[in-house]
Formats: sequence, C-alpha cells, structure tokens
Amino acid sequence: MIKHLFPLFSLICCLLASPVLAQQRFTVSGTVRDAASGETLIGATVKLTGTATSAMSTNAYGFYSLSGIAGEYVLSVTYTGYELYTKKITLNASQKADLALSPAGTTLQEIRISAADRKDQNVRTPQMGIDKLNMAELDNLPVLFGEKDVLKTIQLLPGVKSGGEGTTGFFVRGGAADQNLILLDEATVYNSSHLLGFFSTFNADAIKDVSLYKGGMPAQYGGRLSSVLDVKMQDGNNQQFGAEGGIGLIASRVKAEGPIVKNRGSFMVSARRTYIDLLLKASPDSSISGNTLNFYDLNAKLNYRFNDKNTLYASGYFGQDNIGIRDLFANDWGNTTATVRLNHVFNSRLFSNTSFIFNKYRYAIELLDEDNNARITSLIRDYNIKEDLQFYSNHHTVRFGLQATHHRISPSEITASEGSIFNPLKIESRYGMEVAGYASDEWALSEKLSLLYGVRVSAFSLLGPGTIRTFDQQGNETAANNYKSGDVVKSYVYPEPRFSASYILNERSSLKASYNRNTQNIHVLTNASTSSPTDQYVMSSNNIKPGIADQAAIGYFRNAKDNSFEFSVETYYKWLKNQIDYRDGAELIGNGDVESELLYGVGRAYGLEFYAKKTAGKLTGWISYTLSKTERKFDDINRGQYFPSRQDRTHDVSLVGMYNTGKRWTFSANYIYNTGNAVTFPAGKYDLDGLTTYYYTERNANRMPYTSRLDVSATLKAKETKKLRSSWSFGLYNALNRKNPYAIQFRDKENDPTRTEAVQISLFGIIPSVTWNFKF
Amino acid sequence: MKTLTQYILAVVAVVPFLSSCEKVIDVKIDTSPGQVVIQGNITNVAGPQSVKISRSVSYTDKNEFPPVSGATVTVTDDAGHAWTFTETQPGIYTYASLKGDPGHAYTLKAVFNNTTYTAVSTMPEVIPVDSLSLKTLTFGDEKSKQVQVHFKDPAGKPNYYRYVMKINNKLAKAVFAENDRFTDGNDITSLLFYNGEDGDVKLRNGDVVEIEMQSVDKNVFDYWFTLSQQAQNGPGGGVTPGNPPSNINNQALGYFSAHTKEVKTITVK
Repeated sequence: MIKHLFPLFSLICCLLASPVLAQQRFTVSGTVRDAASGETLIGATVKLTGTATSAMSTNAYGFYSLSGIAGEYVLSVTYTGYELYTKKITLNASQKADLALSPAGTTLQEIRISAADRKDQNVRTPQMGIDKLNMAELDNLPVLFGEKDVLKTIQLLPGVKSGGEGTTGFFVRGGAADQNLILLDEATVYNSSHLLGFFSTFNADAIKDVSLYKGGMPAQYGGRLSSVLDVKMQDGNNQQFGAEGGIGLIASRVKAEGPIVKNRGSFMVSARRTYIDLLLKASPDSSISGNTLNFYDLNAKLNYRFNDKNTLYASGYFGQDNIGIRDLFANDWGNTTATVRLNHVFNSRLFSNTSFIFNKYRYAIELLDEDNNARITSLIRDYNIKEDLQFYSNHHTVRFGLQATHHRISPSEITASEGSIFNPLKIESRYGMEVAGYASDEWALSEKLSLLYGVRVSAFSLLGPGTIRTFDQQGNETAANNYKSGDVVKSYVYPEPRFSASYILNERSSLKASYNRNTQNIHVLTNASTSSPTDQYVMSSNNIKPGIADQAAIGYFRNAKDNSFEFSVETYYKWLKNQIDYRDGAELIGNGDVESELLYGVGRAYGLEFYAKKTAGKLTGWISYTLSKTERKFDDINRGQYFPSRQDRTHDVSLVGMYNTGKRWTFSANYIYNTGNAVTFPAGKYDLDGLTTYYYTERNANRMPYTSRLDVSATLKAKETKKLRSSWSFGLYNALNRKNPYAIQFRDKENDPTRTEAVQISLFGIIPSVTWNFKF
Repeated sequence: MKTLTQYILAVVAVVPFLSSCEKVIDVKIDTSPGQVVIQGNITNVAGPQSVKISRSVSYTDKNEFPPVSGATVTVTDDAGHAWTFTETQPGIYTYASLKGDPGHAYTLKAVFNNTTYTAVSTMPEVIPVDSLSLKTLTFGDEKSKQVQVHFKDPAGKPNYYRYVMKINNKLAKAVFAENDRFTDGNDITSLLFYNGEDGDVKLRNGDVVEIEMQSVDKNVFDYWFTLSQQAQNGPGGGVTPGNPPSNINNQALGYFSAHTKEVKTITVK
C-alpha cells in the first residue's frame, strides 16, 4: 500500500513546494455557517478577489482556506438560497474568518439575485458526474403518498434510473443496485429502503446535504462500482430551540433541535413513523387488526465545538420495518448506524477529520405456524476507522487519508422450537478486512485548466475462522480448508487511479474529462430487480473476485443568462469485470455453499446524458434525458452472448418544474418517461401434463411497455404567526391515472384455454395525498 | 424449502398487489421453431409406464402440441434389463407393465430423425405418506383452505420431493417441489400453498383433492424447483425466467424422472 502511494506523495510535495517559495503568502480560513441556525454550509463557493483571484468550495464541515500574497482583498461567499456575503480584508498575516450567511427571503425581490453572486461551480470545478440535491426543492416536489424522499428525487436526474414503480432502488449509469455506495454521515447504509422499497431510509427532515457521484469518483470514496450517494445529516440549530414536523396520510414526522451551548454546540433529533397498521388495528375484524405493516426511524446528532481547532460530532440512525400476518409470518429488518467524528484544524491550511463508524443491517423472518415455526436471522456489520486530511495551498487542494473497515456477514441462522419441522442451522459467519489509502490533488493549473487527480489503493482480505470451500466453474467442490481466527484466506490489492480535468472555454462554458477505476468487495445476491429485505450479502473470497469498473467520461458544461440556466452534456463508457449472476434455480437463502451457485461475467455500459436546469426566477426546474445501454456477458447464460441487463432502458426522460407565485402558493409537477425494462418473454410453449410451460430463447431480449407518469402538487403557506409557520401540501401521484407496467405474466386465456395471453400488472393508479407541515 | 419460500413470497406479493390491477396486453414476441419435448416417467407402481414426445409451438399459436411419432424408445436399468416402449397413441410410448425398483438407475433412450436423446434418473427409496390434512390461512379478511402433507423424512441424506395436485380430478396448475435442506430427518408437514389459478379459484368445501407425492432425484428436483420459482412473480417480474435444467441431452426440453409415488385424497370441509 505505502509502496503504491509513495510516488504520488512525493510528486504532490514537489508541486506544493515550488510556488510557496516564490513570494510570501498569507491564508484566510474559517467556517461558513447559516446566520440563523448556525448550520455549517457544505459546498458554498468562497472567493478571494484582489491582485489575484482564488476560489474554492467549503468542505463537508463548512471549512475553507484561501491564500494570496499581501494586499487588499474582497472575501465573498455564494450559496444557493442565501444572500451574497462580502467582506473586505487586508491580508498581511494569516487570519481566521468565520462567515455567517443570511438565508435569502422568499419574496421575489430577494430571489432575483445579482449576476455576480450566482454560482458557476458546475462549469469551473474539474469534478464531473456529480449532482447535488437542493433540500429546499424537495419540499415542493410531488411524490408518492406525499412523503418527500431523497432517493426518489435523485431518480429524476440524468444517468439515474428508478428500480421500479414507486421504489427507492436506483441504478446509476448501467450499474447494478448493489453498486451504489450509500453513506449517511459516512456510515454505509446497506438497505436503503423501507416498506419493500416504497420509502427510503432517509427522513428528509434530518438531511442537510445530498451529493451523488456518478463518475469521476473522488479518491476519498471507494468500495462500490457505480456511484456514491453521500448523505449528511443536519447538525441542529445552535442559536435557538425549534421544532418542526409533518402530518401525512400514512406517516408523520417530528424534529427537535437547539443549542446545547449557544454558538458552541447543538443537537438534532428527528423521528418518523408510518401508521398504516394503526388503521388496521382500528378494524373490528380481529384477523385484520392482528396484522402489522409499519416502519419507523430515528435520526439524532450532537455537535460541540471545544475551541477554534476542535469540533466533535456524534450522529446515529436507527430504523426498523415490521410486516407480519397474524399466526403465520413476521418479518422485521433495519439499519443501525453510529458515527463519531473529530474535526481538528492543525493550522489554517491543514484540516483533519477522524471518524469512528459502526453500521449494521439485520433482518429476521419468523414463521409462526405451530408445525412450521422457525426464526431466521441474518446480519451484516462493519466497524470502520477513517482519517481524512485536507491540505490547502495556493492552487492546490490535497486530500489524503486512510481507512480500515472490518466486515462481518452472518448469512443465516435458523432456530426452531421443539416439534417444528425445521432443524436449527447456523451458517458460518464470514469476516473481512478492507484497508484503503488515498491521495488526490485538485490543482488549478492555470486560469483555464484544472485537474483533480489521485489514486486510491484498496486491499481486501477474507479472514478466518471458518471452513472455506473452493468451487469449480460447474459449482462442484474442489477443496475445503479450515482456517483459524485471523488467518488470511485470500487477499486482493488494487490501485484505483482517479483523474478528472476541466478546461474553461470562456466565462460560461467548459469541457471536462474523467477516468476512474473502482473496485467492490461486498456483493448482494438477489432474485428481484430491486432491493428486498432478505437480500443476501457475500464478500469477495477465494471464489468471488472483487468487482472492477473502469469509467471514462467527457462532458460539456455551459451556463447562460448570468448562470440562471445550466446546461450539460456528458457521455460515458464503463467496463465492468467480475460481475455476479447465479445459476437457474439457485437457492440463495440459508445456503452455506451459496458461492457454488454463482456465475461470473463481464459487463459494459455507455450512454449520453443531457441536463438543462433553470435555477432562478419564478419558474425553476430541470429537464434530463438519458440515452443509454447496459449489457452483461456470462459464459453460461444466453450462450455466452451479451444480453441487456434488466435495468437497460434506452430512453429516460424527466421533467421537473416548480412555479413559485411569490405569494402563498407554489405549484410543481414532474413528468417521467422511460423505455420498459429488458425482460425475457417466452418464444414458445409446450405441454407438461396439462401445464402450459414456456420456452425461452434469448435472455432479456424483450421489452416491457414504456412507463410514463405525471405527478403534480401544490403547496400553500399558511399565514405566518410569530410562533408558528405552517404549510399544506396537496399532491396527485400519477395524475393521468396511467396504468404503468409493474410485471408481465403469461397464462392460458380464461375463456379460451387453447390460447395464451400476456397480462400486465400495474401497481398505482392516481393517488392523492395531503400533508400538513409545521415549524415552531 | 418450498413451503418457507412460498410463505415469504405470498406475503411479499400480497402487499404491493393490494392496489394493483391487471389488463391483457399485446406483446411483441419472437416465434421459435418447434423444440423436442420429452416427458418420461418410471414409477415404483406396477402398471403402464409412459414416455411422451411432442414439439413446442410458438407462443402465439394455439395450445396444440404436435406429437412426435415413429421414435424408438427404450428404457434400460443398471441391472441389465431393457424395455422397448411402443407407440400406443401418436407421440405416446408405453410399456404395458413395468415396475421400477428404488435404488436403481434407469436410462431413457429415444431415437428419431437420426438423433439419439438420452437421460439417466435414479429412483430414490420409498417414503410413505402418513396423511393429508387441511389448514386454514388468513390473509387479512381473506381466508383460504390449504392442503398439508405429513410424512417422515429419512435422516442423514438429502431427499427431494415433488407433489402433483388434482382438484376434483383436474390437474392444478401449480408446481410443488421441495427438499429437506432445512428439515432433514424430521416429521414433516408440508403445506402445498395453492391460491387458485390466477388467484381467484381456491379450494372450496366439498372439493376432492388428490395429492401424489413423488420422491425424485436431485436433477429432477432442480427441474421442478426452477419451474416453480419462475411461476412466482415479484417486483419487475421476479426471477429472470429460463428453461429449467433438463436431464435429457441434445437440447431436448422436458425431463426423465424415475421416482416413487404414493397417492392420497382428502375432501375439503
């Protein structure tokens, strides 16, 4: 590992050393916050204008550091939804400047921000393939059941495809659903869905910032092939106490926040619960009231600033789903995450963050029948230590760090009572250690050219104890070896180069290019196209090689009308290696030899993404269009020929519009259209003792019908009083009541059994919703 | 394992379908030339044993499956016996009186159009059915009656079962296959979850349900289990369908199964 990183470090050191010697430079550094709540602002653009101009975005903790030669400067900060901040400074010594931005008012006058302060980061930064969600927009967008949801909103972005009607599962640039790294305050969230995918585990009230990386992956992230969804919780208001929440048709939420010590520390607690089953409970029919169908989750965060140099953050998430049918079946599942972080500012140029992270996902299935009773439990758990450092120098931002993660996967444990038909069974847990080191440099080479380059070296080891079996290509056991605790069964080391560059063509437009490699050591085995609570996780092993993805992308970015319009076109090509599928009839649950059921292949994905966004004025919104293809190839599937992945959809269009009347009403609508999933339809049929059985030829050679849907919503702000601000949201999901395909089944015709028919199953027709949101 | 999976799938399937709706649609489908389909059964019950050979038809055609006549069909066992089957109806080849012996391997050989199709299947030991019983399941306000099979699974080795259900002498369009991966050596109660064809025809009082329990070998189990998984529908259409792995060579569809069987009936009340 060190061997791999050393040349890069020395290169960076050389680059950093030379310009520093030239002339005495001074640094201004500090934290950018919301003036009203004290929340740090992530990704705000800070500019130092004077004899020379330098600019940067604040980091994940609102920190910035800029330097220049002695002189008079204007320090300015811009951030969407906030007033422009400017301050004159004299740079004759390194200094600290914490900056507080005031939220922009909601009247139109204030929305019309002057040209100079609008963001042009999308054009300037070498980072490409990134999308940020504006959490304020989320309040207005129409969603299923009126429950605002970050995972459903990112599905409206180019290159991101929905896992299916109403679900929070998503696919990025042709990758599989398990190839997205989903982080909540740096902790991995393995199962990001509630209630079989109709809701995400992210309670939008508690979320401050959502960034999705589709390509040009920064070196500080790793472990998944396709994307990183980095979700950060709010810190909580450190100025005053407040409470807010919402009451909806099927779920309600409440949040409380406030200072622990004013200006120094704050807390935030947010909870959410569905109450479908409370309605069931009210039913006089005992067989209905005995059923359960609910989820709840809890987000909590504390932060405390000891002094200018040290800040501590502690945050956690706990969520659980319960579904059950009385006397028959119960299934519960949930994620738990906990993160403790210490920010330390070594000096005005060196920022450090140390994280201790715990996360787990578990599920339990209980069969409650007296003869067939059993309880099946499964767990995946990580301990993670991370050290991230950022060094800011003239024209350079250097990031480097180390990360170590210990994984445990306990696939299945079955317990049963005496007299049950089931035998107790415990499948051996598997342990793994992932260690990664990275270094990257964001370098403004000239006024026009910026580079972001680096490398991440990831090492994975499957560890004992356990009996490890080796399988040949046909799935036959060829060896079985016993390992003691801590023994290394198999190790993989991969350097992952990361590179992006931007070239500014003129004030308004730029060209960008990127290449990156990612590897993946935690894999999900699933029969369904979207995540299911009983997904099985496996690690790379002697049988399973780490997944590898190489992605190259180029893009053209252009802003117009004083940056109030943003356009981009990106095209990408992705090579995927060591992809996993499984044999027909594979038994994935409770199978200690599940690795014998797996097939390994390759994949490729390519596409073209168009994105146009209007960020200012009464009408805002975006249009995204993706033209893409994603295919896989396995020796034992489809006669070794490439076939389309299930999520291969040629065309994918999203239109999102929000109209703010400037008075009390805001109207919004979104429209989606996409080509149907690639599916396998029968080419022929035959008879097995009266059972019409289907004959299949090509894998995924057919198409589901297309999906199109219009959702609308309207938000009415109630009259504000000193104490209470409230609003009503009315929504119509699938306003045109179109029957979109969910699944296609084939069956003999009811009135003519000599014929076969295809039946389309649709899930949601038009669904109205109403939510009352309040804030004290 | 069938029972467990079905419990889960039944519940998982019910939840999203609460508000679902169906419509018949036109789909664009490729046609395919007729494939050879061989379905051969040798059982431990003395009597006529038969092998059926037919061809598949295109999806859009009528459910009329052309029989394959004029084939030479022989079955041999690992003890040197050989039986030549004769075509009694077009495409149906029978041997009037043949009783398979558990523990023996049987080889099917069918020759026609200059192609020889072969398959081997080993008849497992006899596992007797103790009894059938009825069980009422409740999903919300919907109650359904289900048939359970009781038997003792032999300990210490893998066993594979297939069930054939007939309701009032009519074959139920459902595939049941299970193994003893989680239940080895126990007194088994197997619930044969049947929710009617397309979910609307369920078991009613007075229905006579006949259950044939077959003890099959692993290859034949894999065939039926794969088929049963594809019959279920999850989000986006469930498991990607494919042709179940056949134990017959030369790309023939179908299976050759040497199995023991026992039939019992129960009246729903």
